[in-house]
Amino acid sequence: MSYTEIEGIEGEEGNFTVRLLRKPRYVLEHRCTGCRNCVDHCPVEIPDVFNQKLSKEKAIHIYFSQAIPLICYIDPEYCLYLKEGKCGICADICRNSAIDFGQVPQREEVKVGAVVLSMGFDPYDPSVRPEWGYGRLANVISSMDFERITSSTGPYSGEILRPSDLKHPHKVAWIQCVGSRQVYEGSKSYCSAVCCTYTQKQVILMKIHNPEAECVVFHNDIRAFSKGFERFFERTESLPGVRFIRAYPQVVGEDPVSKNVILRYVTPEGKLVEEDFDLVVLSVGLLPPSGIDKVASELGIELNEYGFCKTNPFDFVEATKPGVFVSGSFIAPSDIPEAVYTASGAASKCGRLLGYRRNKLTVPKQYPPEREVVEEEPRVGVFVCHCGANIGKVVSVPSLVEEALKLPYVVHAEEDLFWCSTSGTKRIMEVVKEKGLNRVVVAACTPKTHEPTFMDSIRMGGINMYLVDMANIREHCTWVHPLEGEAAYEKAKELIKMSLARALLLEPLELYEIPIDKRALVVGGGISGMTCALDLAEQGHEVWLVEKERELGGMARRIYWTLEGEDVQGFLRDLIDRVYRHPLIHVLTEAKIIETSGYLGNFVTKVQSGGTVYEIKHGVTILATGAVEYRPTEYLYGKDPRVVTALEFEELLAKRDQKVLEAENVVMIQCVGSRSKERNYCSRICCGETMKNALKLKELNPNCNIYVLYRDMRTYGFKEDLYRKAADLGVVFIRFEPEQQPVVEQVQGAAERALRVRVRDHVLGEEVEIGVDLVVLAAGVVPAPDNQELSEQFKVPLDEDGFFKEAHVKLRPVDFGTEGIFLCGMAHYPKYIQEAIAQAHGASGRAMTILSKEKEVSSGIVCFVDEGRCMGCGACAEVCTYGAILMEETKRGKKPKVIPVLCKGCGLCNSECPTGAIQVKHFKDEQILAEIDVLMASDEELKDIIDKKIKQNKGAKAA
Amino acid sequence: MERQSLLWFFRRYQHYDVLVAGGGISGVQAALDLANAGFKVLMVDRRPSIGGHMAQLDKTFPTLDCSI
Amino acid sequence: MSGVSRLQYPTDLRIIRVMCAGRVDLKHIFYAFSKGVDGVLIVGCRLNECKFITEGNYHALNVALLSKRIMEHIGLDPRRLWIEFMSSADGVLFAETVKKMVKTVRELGPIGNGKVKERLDEVMRLIPYIKIATREKLRVKLTDPSKWEEHFTKEEIEDLFKNVPSYWIDPEECRACMACLRRCPVGAIDGGKKLIHVIRQEECIKCGTCAEVCRFGAVKKLVGQPVPPPPPEDMRTVKKAAEA
Repeated sequence: MSYTEIEGIEGEEGNFTVRLLRKPRYVLEHRCTGCRNCVDHCPVEIPDVFNQKLSKEKAIHIYFSQAIPLICYIDPEYCLYLKEGKCGICADICRNSAIDFGQVPQREEVKVGAVVLSMGFDPYDPSVRPEWGYGRLANVISSMDFERITSSTGPYSGEILRPSDLKHPHKVAWIQCVGSRQVYEGSKSYCSAVCCTYTQKQVILMKIHNPEAECVVFHNDIRAFSKGFERFFERTESLPGVRFIRAYPQVVGEDPVSKNVILRYVTPEGKLVEEDFDLVVLSVGLLPPSGIDKVASELGIELNEYGFCKTNPFDFVEATKPGVFVSGSFIAPSDIPEAVYTASGAASKCGRLLGYRRNKLTVPKQYPPEREVVEEEPRVGVFVCHCGANIGKVVSVPSLVEEALKLPYVVHAEEDLFWCSTSGTKRIMEVVKEKGLNRVVVAACTPKTHEPTFMDSIRMGGINMYLVDMANIREHCTWVHPLEGEAAYEKAKELIKMSLARALLLEPLELYEIPIDKRALVVGGGISGMTCALDLAEQGHEVWLVEKERELGGMARRIYWTLEGEDVQGFLRDLIDRVYRHPLIHVLTEAKIIETSGYLGNFVTKVQSGGTVYEIKHGVTILATGAVEYRPTEYLYGKDPRVVTALEFEELLAKRDQKVLEAENVVMIQCVGSRSKERNYCSRICCGETMKNALKLKELNPNCNIYVLYRDMRTYGFKEDLYRKAADLGVVFIRFEPEQQPVVEQVQGAAERALRVRVRDHVLGEEVEIGVDLVVLAAGVVPAPDNQELSEQFKVPLDEDGFFKEAHVKLRPVDFGTEGIFLCGMAHYPKYIQEAIAQAHGASGRAMTILSKEKEVSSGIVCFVDEGRCMGCGACAEVCTYGAILMEETKRGKKPKVIPVLCKGCGLCNSECPTGAIQVKHFKDEQILAEIDVLMASDEELKDIIDKKIKQNKGAKAA
Repeated sequence: MERQSLLWFFRRYQHYDVLVAGGGISGVQAALDLANAGFKVLMVDRRPSIGGHMAQLDKTFPTLDCSI
Repeated sequence: MSGVSRLQYPTDLRIIRVMCAGRVDLKHIFYAFSKGVDGVLIVGCRLNECKFITEGNYHALNVALLSKRIMEHIGLDPRRLWIEFMSSADGVLFAETVKKMVKTVRELGPIGNGKVKERLDEVMRLIPYIKIATREKLRVKLTDPSKWEEHFTKEEIEDLFKNVPSYWIDPEECRACMACLRRCPVGAIDGGKKLIHVIRQEECIKCGTCAEVCRFGAVKKLVGQPVPPPPPEDMRTVKKAAEA
C-alpha cells in the first residue's frame, strides 16, 4: 500500500494489530492505467517534489516516471477542483472514469505477526542554517538536488546545468559534512557514512558530462571504508582538474552579476583564501526520518540518542520491542548493501519467529489445465489497445483491427480502451476459450509493464502462457511519433505484422522444477557462520557447520569488548553453547572440504574431519570463512616486544597487564598493512578499534599519554562519538601522509634501549619525536589464506583483494552469481561484529527463500540443445557465467547439457554457438529472424513466408 | 458461539504475516525475501510510490550503476 | 524512456526485443542486411552495469566490431551498423542516437540488390566458420575504448576470408566408417555402408568436426586450393573397408 501512514501498532509478537491511514489519491487505483492523459490536460503547474522542486509537475501526476504503482494522484494543496470547486478537467478527460474527488482518508486495521521497520532516512535540510545560503543563493544546491540534476529523468533531462542561468557550470565545489560530525554549527554529532563516496561519484559524473570541469572537494577525513571505496577515491582524486582540499569553507555570498558563489576557507598551509565557484554542492548528511518521534511512540519502540532506532547491541536488526525488526538506514546512516543485507536479515528474524505459520496465508492461484496446441492449425487473436487516447489519438485503432483481420491465421481481432483493465483481461481470457485461440498478439504498450498480465489471462483461458506476444505500438510508436499520423499508422501495422510472425512461431514452454534438499552447509564456524547456522536450524533445517580450527569462534576469540563496551567473550560462549546444543546443527571441527559438486537445491560436499570423510547433501551453501589479522613486517614488529598489534594489545588490556598499567607513553599507528600498494583497501574496523583501545587504556591508566598516528580517521556512523570522546580525554591525534610514514626505532646507547617514534606533524609542520613504552599497530584485515582453494572448489569468484566477490556489490551483497551459494562476515570484507551478525542474518534470510520451498520453479525461457546440430566444441559451456551448461560424454562425443533452473535465458551461448545447436527458447533464431522476414516482405509474399517459417520450425523440432 | 466470533474476527481484519514499514530499497528487499520464504507481506509506504531515496539517485557508487 | 518522455525520433526504426544484448548474433545482423534492411542498431545496457553477471553487452560490442570489419571487407558501409549502450532511463540518448543513425543511413541510401547481396549471402554461409575463428576475441572484455578500433583489424579479416578452408574426403583413404556422417552437425555428408563419403560443399559450414572425428585421416582441410570433384556416383564403393 503506497500513500499510507501507520497510525499505531498494538499487541505483541505473533499478534499485532496495525492501524493504517490511507491518504486519498483522488484517483481510483484499480481504474487508473497510468496513461497520463489527465496530466497532459491539467492546467496547474506545481513544483516537482521528486525532482527536488527543480522542475514543474502538474497537480495531478504520477510521482515519477518509473513509479510503482504507476498511477496518478492529485495533490490537494494545488488542485483547483479540490480547493475551489473549479476545473475538473481530469475527470472529463479520463476515459476510464478513474478520478474520484470524493475520496476521503480511510482508516484500516490489519493483523500481522511481525513488523519490519525500513523507514529510511531524511536528507539534512541545509536551509535551516541560513549561513549556507541554500534557498537564497540560486547556485547553492544540496547533493540530493545534484542527483536529480544528473539524472536523465531529472529537471534538465540529464544535462548538468546550474539553476541560476541554466548554463553548464565549469567550476564546481562540494562541501562535505554538511549536517554531520559537528563540523558546522547545528550539525549532528555522528558521521553520515555515505557522503564521502557519493560526492566522489558526483565528481566523476561531473567529469563525464564535462571533462574540462574543475572540481573541488572541501573535506574533513575521507571515509572510504567499504569494499572498493579506496580505489574509487583514488580514481576520483587522480582525475585531472579535481582538487581535494582539507578545509572547512564558509559561504560568503554571491557575485551579483555572474551569480557565482564565493567561498572563504583556510588552506591546510594556513592561508586565508576567497574563491568563487559556478556551482556549490552541499554534501548533506542523513537524518532520522521526519516525524519519527511520534511514530516511534505509536509503535512502542525506543529511539537512540541520535533519533535512529534503538537496537539490540549485538543484533542490529532487533528493535527494543519483541517481534519488531529493523533494516536499512533506520538502524544507522548506511549505504545500500547494508540496507539490503539487514533487510534479508530482518526477514530471517521474522522467519524464526513465525516459522509455524509459513505458507498458511498465501494461497497459490489455480489455473485450468493447458490445452495442447502444437499440432493445431494456428488461430491467432489480435487485441489492439487504445490506451485511453495514447494510441487512439495518433493512429486509427479500428483500421488497425481491420488490417489485422486480413493477416494470415488471424481469426479474431478486437479493440478496447484498455486491454490491461480487469474487464479487458477477462475478455481476452473468454475469447481464447470461445474461439479456441492458440496464439495471441496484444498490440498495446511495452511488455515491461503488462506482459505478465496478458500471460496470466491466456493461461486462465487454458493455453500456455508463453503463447502471447506484445506489439509495442505505444512507446515504440504513438508516443514517439505523435505528429506523423500516417507514418505512425504504417509503423503500427508493421509492428503488428512482426509480432504476429513471432507469435506464430512461439511454442508452449514448461516451467522447470527441481526438488530442494532442505539441509544447509555452513563453511566457517566464527560468529557469522554460527549465527547463520542457528537462524537456519531455528527454522527447522538441518545444518552442517564446518570449521577448520579445533574450536568454534574464529576471530572473535581474540576480541574482548565491542566498541560500545559489550562483553564479546560472554556473548561468544553463549553462542557456541547454543550451537552445540541445537539438535539440528552438526558441528565438524578440524574439518577440510575435499570436494563439492551439484547445483542449487542439490549440492554434495565431501568433508574430512577427525579421520572420517562425510558426504553431505545440502540445498544451499553459505561461506562464512572469515579473514585474518595482517602480520606486520614494518615498525620493528617481531623485532621488539614493545611493538604489538591491536588485537595483541586488546589482550594485554583484558589481562590488566603491567606493561599497560604502567605505560607512560603509548603510540598507536593506523593503516598498518592497509591502504597500501599491495593491499589497496581500507580495513574498515581499525580506526574504531583503536578508539576503543585508547578509551580502555585511558580508563585503566588515566595518566598515560596516548598518541594516535593516522591518515584519515574513519570512525563512521555513531562511532564518531568515540573519536570525539578520545580527543576530549586528551588523546593526541597526529595525521601523517603516506609518503612520510612514521618511523619506529630503538635509541642506541641507553641502558635499556628506549623505543622512539618519529613522525612529521602536518599541523605543526615539523617532525615530532616521542619516547614510548608501547607501540600499537592497527594491523589490517587480510583475506583468509585458503580463500583461493575454496573459490576454486565452490566455483565462486574472489575480488582483486582476495575477498569473496558477491553477485552485485550494491544490490546483492550476500549472494553469489551462482545460485544457492551465499556469503557473509569477513569473508566478504572486513567488518565489525554487529555488522557480521547482521550480514549472517542476511545470508540466512536469502537462503531461506530457497530452503522454505519444496521445489524451485524457474522460467521457461531457457536454453536447449539440438544434439544433432552440436559439434561438441564446448563454447556454450565456457561462456555461461551461471554454470548452467555442463559438457557430458555421450556416444557422439561431448555434448552440452543445460540445467534449466540455473539458466537465466540471456542467450550468450546461442550467440557463441557456431551451428545454432544451442538456442534460447522464446528467443530462438527463427523467432527473431521471422520478424525481419515479415518486415521486409510484401503483403503478397506474407502468407508464403509465414507458412515456410512454420514448416521450418516444425521440421527443426522433428529433427 | 466461539466459531461465530472467530468468523467475525477473520472478517473484521485483513491478515498478514509481516508488515514492512517503508518501501525503499531495504523495505523492498525485506518484503521480497519474506514473500519468497512463504509469508504474506503487507508493505506500507507513506509516499505515492515505492522506491524511496534510491529511486532519486542517478547512479550508485562505486560501480556507477543506474539505480532503477 | 523516450516513449514516457514523449521524445520524438524518426519513424524508420523497428525494434526487435532480445533478453540481453549478448543474444545479438552475427547471424541476425547479416541476415537483416541480406534481407535488405538498410541499417542495424544494437542497443545494450551501459558497459559495466550488467544487473546480472553475464556482461553480454561486451559480447555485443565485440560482435559489432567484428561485423563492421566484415562489412568493410565485403564493401558494405560499416556506418550502417551502430551499437550504443544505455540504461532504461536514457531516453534522450536513445532518441538522439536514432536521429543521428537514420540521418547517416539515409545519406548512404538503400542497400540495393547488387553485388553486396551476393557477398552477404556468402557471409551468412561462413558464419559458423567466423564464429569459431574469432571465438577468443569475441570473449574479450574491452574496457578500454581506445582498443576498440584495432580489436579486429582489416588485415585479420582479409586473412580470415582468404583462408576459408574446405573439407574434402579423400576417396582413397575413406573407409566408410560413417563416423563423420553421423557427427556432421548439418548432415552435409553423403555416404553409406561401403560407400565412399562425400561432403556436399554447398551445405558444409566448415566447422571441421568431420576432420576431428575421422580416425583414418581421410578428411583433408584444403586452404586456397580447389576442391577435387567427388567420384561419380557409380564409383563410390570403398576399396578398404573399415576395420571392425
